[in-house]
Order: sequence, then C-alpha cells, then structure tokens
Amino acid sequence: MDTTPAQSSELTRRQFLKVALASGVMAATGLGVMQWRQQPRMKASTFIGQADSYDIDLRSILASGFQELGVTPSEIHGKRILLKPNLVETHVESAHINTHPLLIRAAIEAFLGLGAALVIVGEGPGHRRDTLQILEESGLAQVLYDDHIRFVDLNEGGGYSITNQGSQTGLANLTFPAIFQEIDWIVSLAKLKTHHWAGVTLSMKNLFGVMPGMFYGWPKNVLHHMGIHESILDITATLKPHFAIVDGIIGMEGDGPIMGTPVHTGVLVMGRNLPAVDATCSRLMGINPHKIGYLETASNWLGPIHDSAIQQRGELVSALRKDFLLLDHIPTYDGLRLQS
Amino acid sequence: MTNLNDLMERHVSTGGFANEMGGAPQAEATAWALCILQHQHRGQRTAPFHSDHTFLKSRQLEDGRVPIAPNHPEAVWPTPLAILAWHGSSEYRPQQDRAIQFLLTQYGHHWTRDPEQDDSVVAHDPSLHGWPWISHTHSWVSPTTHAMLALTITGHGEHERVQEGAEMLIDRQLPHGGWNYGNTFVWGQELRPFPETTGMTLNALAGRVPRSRISRSLDYLLLQLPDLQTPLALGWTLLGLSAWSIHPAQKSALITRCLQQQERYGPYMTSAYCLLLAAAIATMGLESLFDMSNSSQHATLGNT
Repeated sequence: MDTTPAQSSELTRRQFLKVALASGVMAATGLGVMQWRQQPRMKASTFIGQADSYDIDLRSILASGFQELGVTPSEIHGKRILLKPNLVETHVESAHINTHPLLIRAAIEAFLGLGAALVIVGEGPGHRRDTLQILEESGLAQVLYDDHIRFVDLNEGGGYSITNQGSQTGLANLTFPAIFQEIDWIVSLAKLKTHHWAGVTLSMKNLFGVMPGMFYGWPKNVLHHMGIHESILDITATLKPHFAIVDGIIGMEGDGPIMGTPVHTGVLVMGRNLPAVDATCSRLMGINPHKIGYLETASNWLGPIHDSAIQQRGELVSALRKDFLLLDHIPTYDGLRLQS
Repeated sequence: MTNLNDLMERHVSTGGFANEMGGAPQAEATAWALCILQHQHRGQRTAPFHSDHTFLKSRQLEDGRVPIAPNHPEAVWPTPLAILAWHGSSEYRPQQDRAIQFLLTQYGHHWTRDPEQDDSVVAHDPSLHGWPWISHTHSWVSPTTHAMLALTITGHGEHERVQEGAEMLIDRQLPHGGWNYGNTFVWGQELRPFPETTGMTLNALAGRVPRSRISRSLDYLLLQLPDLQTPLALGWTLLGLSAWSIHPAQKSALITRCLQQQERYGPYMTSAYCLLLAAAIATMGLESLFDMSNSSQHATLGNT
C-alpha cells in the first residue's frame, strides 16, 4: 500500500527524543511520549467524488479520482487488475447490501481506459457458497456477461500460503486465492456500511471476502474466531492491496452489514491507502475513525487515519457528511459518533 | 440430461477429479464424482474407479479426516463426502470406517450459556453439537447436514451425534421458514434463509422430525423453486423436496435450464455439477443414490 513518508521537516522519533531530553521540553510542555506517538507521521491522499445516483457517468468521476490521486496511464498500462466488490447476500429490495453492479462496470471501464491489460472481478461471499446465485440476483452476472468480463469465485480453487505480516490474530500464515499470483493490482471495491460487530465495513473489512471459504469456512469461521479487528489488520498487512474505491452512493446504516437500512449518501471515496480511505469514509458517516478498533491500530502502521495526515481531494468531508444511524441497542456503536 | 462425458472431462489421468477443467485433483470434486459414477455403475462386479479411490485415500490423514488440501488439515469438511464416495466398496472399508470414527469424535467449538449472565446477541443454542467446516470452530448448517447424511447412509442414523445434529438444525431453523448458514437472530432481527442450505437441511431432517416442524421451510423452498437456476441452489432444493416426497412437475425443465446456464457462467465446478446430477437422479433425497442394504453392518461402529 502506498503512503507518503513523513515530511522531511518533521523530526524522527529518535531526533525528537534526543532534543526533548536535552532541553527538558517534555516536562515543560507536558507532551508525553505516548501523546507524541499519536501524532501523525504517515500521510496519504483520498478522493471524494459526489455521485447522486448509479445512472450518471460514474466512469468520469472515477477518472477524476485517478487523476487527483496520481494514478496515471503509465502506471496502469499492461497491469492485470482484480476488482474485489462486496457481495454478501442478495434479497429483494436489499440492493444496498452489495457494491452496485453499475459502479463495478464503471471501474472496469476506468481501469481499461487507463490501459490495463486485464480486469477481472473476484469475490468469495462470506455467507453463501452459491456465489453464482448472488451474482445473478445482484445483477452483476448480466453486467459481466454483457461486458465479457471474467469472474473468479475466490472461495473455491486453490490457494497459496504466505507468512502473516500482521501478527494480530496469532495465525502464522494466511492463505490467499491462487489467482492473486497472476494479478498486479488488487482493488477493494467496497460498500459504505455500518457493521454491528466491527462498527463499520469499508475497504479493509471487505477483504474478508478474499479469504477462501474452502480454507476458512462459511461464514469465514476462522477469522471470526480469531477476532474480526485482528483479522482485518492481518489480511490488510499481508495482502497489501493497491487501491480502494468505496460505493457510498447508497450506503447502509443501522444494523449493517446485512439487515440495515439504505441511506443515500451520494459519494464515491477512493485512495491508495486503505486505512486512510476507511478513515475518510468513517468521517463521512459521522463516525470517529479513532474509535474503530482496527483503524486505530492501523494508524501510523498500515496508514494514517488522523485528519491532518490525510490530504483530502475532490469534495470536502464537511460538505457531504451524513450521520449514519447508530442503533442504541448495539453496544458496538457506543461512543462512535464523531463530534462536529 | 445427465451427461457423464462432461464429468469425465474433469478426470485426472493419475486419479481423482479436478473441480475445474484442467485443474489438479481435489478431494471434494473426486468424492462427488465417485458418488455419481458409482451410482451409474451400480451392480457391476468390478469398480472401475480404483485410481480415484486411491487418490481420496492418499488425502486421508491418520485420524481419519479427509481435508480439502494437505496443507490445511483443519479444513475437515470434505470428510463426509469421502465416506459417501467409499460407500459400497469393501476394499476401502477401513478408510471409510476411520473417516466415520473421525466424524463421530469431531465436535468443534461449543459453549453453554450462563442463564444468569447471558448477554448473547445471537439466538441459537451454542451448546448443541453439530459439525464445523473447520476444526475448532463453531458448528454450522452445511457441514452438519453433510455429516448427518453420510452417517445415516452408512448405517449410523440412530447415533446420538446424529440425533443431536438434528436438534441443532431445528434450533437453527428461521421462524419464518428456511435456514441460512446457521444464524437465526442477531441483535433482535431475524435473518434471511438461503435455498441451498434449506434444501440440504430438509434432506438431512427427513424422517427425523414431523412435517409440521418444517412445513414453513418447505413452503419457502417451493416459493423459491421457479427462480432457481444455479446448481447449488437448485440441486439441494430438489433433493430437499424429494426427501419429503415432493416431486415438482417442472424438475426436468429446471435442471435443463440450469445446465444451459453454463453458456453464461462457463462450466460448473465439478462438485456443483455432480450435485445437480444427483438431484436429477435422486427419487427420495440424496440417500436414494446409495445402496443402503449393507449399511447395517456399520451400525455398531460408532456406538462402541
């Protein structure tokens, strides 16, 4: 994942401690080491595009985002891209559960427009093994069929194991779908939703769907057993996805990620750094990212989440913020609300 | 309707079946393929599938489990399918017995609620033992139904583990009918059912509970049936209905439509394809594919 190193004018931790100890500045200012450690060091950019519906020219909005974030044709040319949407379950009048097929189509077109050699779509739904049925009922099957785009069921097929880079769950290795060995860029194409266990489900939680069900079960038992926040961090740290796009045109509030209610937010959020993207999404939802366990742990490790460390491109959070419903009877949501 | 040539195209020359055309042999695909092929060759004196049985045998571990991949011994869920694949083959009876013994001693992660301090947000009873997908995790609907069917077909249907599995499944039934992966309520909201898990559960419960206890689930499946066009959902729905003596008039047409959908999706995975073939052949649930006449010989194994 891409992050911008701290600016050269910023003191390194070693330099700061040396100066502080010599001058007694810590005592004089009351700035303790722990507080210092909370200061932003990593930096990243995220893009917010306004998109009122799925029927508008979404590809142009994505193209604007790419431009603002420095994703150029020379970077994408010849690359093999895997888009990983959020497909969980499908039900009549519950289209807000899943990444919308028209956004997936726009992302395919946008990456091909930048010169990608190949764009495929892959997902390993967490609840149902019948992925084809989900594709059909979500409307994605028709889009992929019409556009001649390959779909890969990430729950099935072989896998390859690599050392867990996150050390949060205690799992020594993580097994990813074999197809990833043929891919240059992995894009988390997530949905803007509350989550009754994790607080939010955005580009990082969406990565649960890359873990093959044949090795992790349905629902992804092993990951739930080892801890949701811990698993999110380990997967992100090990897989190192390259980009995130979050579908916030219609999100889900309340009892997400399945049983919540639709909320029109009218945004697309993009970025190279997943914690930064999720932090921006959280703020758009009126949720304090520092109160989301996995994001707070990811801060300054996998990416920045402090608002001063995220360079905001496109629209402003303050202009488009819409406070998502946080239900009182779900303790996960206690204290998550971002103060204005 | 049942084209075994398509199936044989997934056969690997060294033994076993791949789940996808051109792939490596895989335990689940091989087990399902053997179930279908042995049914088609039932009554013949020599079983022509020695190398495929041997492949499954090579995947079995010391304690009897048959995991989906050698480097994931905890992914034990194909074990019931291997039991079915070895059913009726005296040569592989020792392997089958070890797999059965493994199932009977495999519990997963369970706990008992403390009624004084129960702040759980899920509604089901977590103390009821079924079977997990992955060792040391909780029991869920699919692996439990597969284990119950395998044990029943091999003569262990009266074992206490199977009876408790049935209790667990009834406990996980959604009030409005059907089953999903195995949760009923979370934070007070009733979750939604899936056709495939509802079908397999009805198949596993046939003959174990009165019809009145599952009638809403049958109604749910019948409502879904006309729209189903994928092999997992349609296959298990038809098997579940037939286990309860419901034989939809449109069965052949639905299977044909589902097979034709491969023009849209590409070739189905071997396991899903075989499931659809099983649904086409079966007259009374999955059990009707198997010769259960010698199952009673097994029956004492797990009760000792």
